Amino acid sequence: METLHPAAIKYLGIPGFVFGWFLLIIGVGLFLFIIWQRLKILLKGQTDPRFKDWGQRIWSLVVYGLGQYKQPRYYWAGVLHNMIFGGFIVLSLRSLDLIFSSLGLPVLKPLMESMFGDFYLSMKDIFELIVLAACIWAILRRAILKPKRYEGSHQFEAYLVLGLIGFLMLTDMFYEGSLMLLNPPNTLWLPASRLTAGILSPASPEFLKGLYPLSYWLHLLTFFFFLNFLPLGKHFHIITALPNVLFRKLRKGAIKPARWGVTDITELDKLGAGQIEDFTWKHLLDLFSCTECGRCSDMCPAHTVGRPLSPKMITIKLRDQAYRQYPLLPGKKADNPKEESPEIIGELIKPDEIWSCTTCGACEEECPVMIEYIDKMIDMRRHMIETGQAPKTFNQVLTYFEKTGNPFGKPAVKRADWIKEFPEVPVKVLKEGDRTDVLFFVDSYGSYDPRVQDIVMAIAKGLLQAKIDFGILGPEEWDSGHQVRRLGEEGLFQVLVEQNMAALEAVQFKRIVTTDPHAFNTLKKDYPKPFEVQHYSQFFGELVHKGFLKLQNSVSTADRYTYHDPCYLGRHNEVYQEPRDLLRAIPGLQLVEMERARDRSFCCGGGDVILWHEIEQEEMRMAEKRIQMAREAGANVIVTACPFCLIHFEDAIKTAGLEGQMRVTDLMELLVTVL
Amino acid sequence: MNIIVCVKNVPFTQEVDLALDGSKRDIRKEMLAYVINEWDNYAIEEAIRLKEQFNGNVTAVTLGKEADEEVLRRCLAMGADQAVRIEPGALQADAFMTAAILATALKTMPHDLVLTGVQTDDLNHGMVGTLIAERLGLAHAAVVNSLKPADNKARITIELEGGQDEVAMIHLPALLTIQTGINEPRYVSIMGIRKAAKKELKVIKVEELGVSADDLVPRTIIEEMYLPPETEGAEMLQGDAAAVADEIIRIIKEKGVSL
Repeated sequence: METLHPAAIKYLGIPGFVFGWFLLIIGVGLFLFIIWQRLKILLKGQTDPRFKDWGQRIWSLVVYGLGQYKQPRYYWAGVLHNMIFGGFIVLSLRSLDLIFSSLGLPVLKPLMESMFGDFYLSMKDIFELIVLAACIWAILRRAILKPKRYEGSHQFEAYLVLGLIGFLMLTDMFYEGSLMLLNPPNTLWLPASRLTAGILSPASPEFLKGLYPLSYWLHLLTFFFFLNFLPLGKHFHIITALPNVLFRKLRKGAIKPARWGVTDITELDKLGAGQIEDFTWKHLLDLFSCTECGRCSDMCPAHTVGRPLSPKMITIKLRDQAYRQYPLLPGKKADNPKEESPEIIGELIKPDEIWSCTTCGACEEECPVMIEYIDKMIDMRRHMIETGQAPKTFNQVLTYFEKTGNPFGKPAVKRADWIKEFPEVPVKVLKEGDRTDVLFFVDSYGSYDPRVQDIVMAIAKGLLQAKIDFGILGPEEWDSGHQVRRLGEEGLFQVLVEQNMAALEAVQFKRIVTTDPHAFNTLKKDYPKPFEVQHYSQFFGELVHKGFLKLQNSVSTADRYTYHDPCYLGRHNEVYQEPRDLLRAIPGLQLVEMERARDRSFCCGGGDVILWHEIEQEEMRMAEKRIQMAREAGANVIVTACPFCLIHFEDAIKTAGLEGQMRVTDLMELLVTVL
Repeated sequence: MNIIVCVKNVPFTQEVDLALDGSKRDIRKEMLAYVINEWDNYAIEEAIRLKEQFNGNVTAVTLGKEADEEVLRRCLAMGADQAVRIEPGALQADAFMTAAILATALKTMPHDLVLTGVQTDDLNHGMVGTLIAERLGLAHAAVVNSLKPADNKARITIELEGGQDEVAMIHLPALLTIQTGINEPRYVSIMGIRKAAKKELKVIKVEELGVSADDLVPRTIIEEMYLPPETEGAEMLQGDAAAVADEIIRIIKEKGVSL
């Protein structure tokens, strides 16, 4: 006699499918309620236009979502994750089949009994074994290896969910295994079910008849429990990660406006993010999507040197706050509106967590689900600036920016004075209406800082040697505003942009070449007009590649060079190759790579906050850490292509007492010596 | 508590190579950026803090042209309730006239406390505050670096020479000239200043105030201005860091600084 399907069996006179319907209605009903409660949080968020560029978005979904492209950056964890992820994709059809059949509506039965079904059921069995193995492995890994990046994550939840997933696999395996013994022969290739059937072979038919429906209903019960458990914690990512990837930020390096859709910021009653509701809906979705894997913090240079910042904890703390404010079951209303939506900066997020960030982007580069940190940091900084909570040391600097267009408070009229220092190199200062091929955007550090002027002069020399028609804006150029925007002074940034836009539109040029990756980034990403902007490494890369410039002198083969990718050239703009090609083109140059290179480059300390605000809690300077890394790679010369990296590394070599053993040079300084 | 703060927009001259204008009685100002006088920044901050603590009303007053309204907008952005600009027209006011004009304007405005900066960055007379107090018959103290009101009095600390402070009680209403360092002035964002542009700003012409003609005659006349002659006097210290440091200490001691 054919064994009855569990949905057809009567339990205390009630047919199984009644339980099926009961489970479905309760399970799905509760799930929809929870999702709706969570969705209401997103609806409280600010607007964020992410509903265009669908081609790019869907491609992201394919690559980073379905392809899980970022997972193997942490190799074994990634392999484990993708074993489970793959299992979920494959087993989703199985779950549907089980749910439909529990309702007495076996709509997928014909499919499962087809040729495809035979193949699918084998696949299902293989993946159940894979997922089960991955769960066991993952539990052991957490328990034995205790990776540091999980500190502060919800560990119990992780074990519970791994246990639940494993249990789902086992119940299905025992369900199928007992059926196999009750209903022989089964000719399909079902390794998982055969395994359980083997284990169960000594059992009596009565036991099997009990186990068979029991494992079936336990499987479904666990399934619905799991479904409802997901949105309560970090496993919400199983639902939200794919949309989070779909709606990801597409313009790396750009900073979001104070409020999307608002051009005149004085219309806003507040600026930046001081409460949960001030974040955009996408930034709130980020909170839901965090898996607490801690890769962000593991890669965060601030975290690495012991600064009080862990990107992962920022997300966890904000998420906890969001859930406290919007609980699933609404409690009694707070009497005071301030208690209803408390300030997030102060107790929850400490000011120095916010100022520790160098906006280097290592966290965002690493996050498998594309969570954004920089825009959130800047929004919190904006709030601090507007409410007078920013470090007092910024006051003077920001006033200098406003009054003189540079952070030193030096007179604007002296901005082009550096050209007097090098009378042998004529540099054209553009006047209104002038025309030039290359507009060399020097920016403030290049114009006034004596050390950075060396780089600027090297660029000018290189341009002259290549017979490029170029000019500078001189006193008409104001600071690019990269730092100002990233310090959170949005209004001042707009003032600087207005000034520079007027100056840039008063002259004619084909492209802008910058000294500094920061100016390059902001002119390219934050300015209202799409100028053709290049960092000097790209521009000279082209010149050398096309043969307009020859690198003829060789450098000593005794030196080992390594290239440090500046964050705003590398990660934020993906210029990795040009500087390396230039270095390789230098005769005799021995180049070694650091372990953390390219998109995993380790920030030097940054080009903004660090210049004006000291983070006291720090084990060592980021630049010192980076120098260590260069030494570990066997290099004695660090080449960089950003003035701030240069300044920080020079300091770090001194403070680490490595003068004579290590040196740092800017790529352009090196290039002019070999021209 | 009604607090009035007198503020001034002054040229920002850090590292500027100042040049004289054609008359040789003033410097060329057209290329200079203007900022709130540093002492006034502390004074307005102190007033706002008092208001935040004890409630009340803060009015910022300046004698200046339309372009100088920026300094008032800044005060409004910091938290001042009203702002008044006195339009000087063609008048070139010295410290005496400035005090006369401000004192006349202040007469009609209720005040428990008047704050000014100790001096201004541009001319450094350090007189205006005290002159206003004399004209209004207010109790006054100069170079105040701490201020704690209690009932109708205030406990103040006055900075003396040589790092000494004098603690005193002063009856209100009073005028105090505020020294830098009394507080840490807050940052006012550009958005704050732009928003403050929407607040009301009252403009009064000097002639509407009814200042006596005698008070509108300057008591000081600048006959000539000149740039300080370049002098010798730079001494380059030679040697390693330790030797240079020793030398610096010797020089500092020689100049009479006790270390």
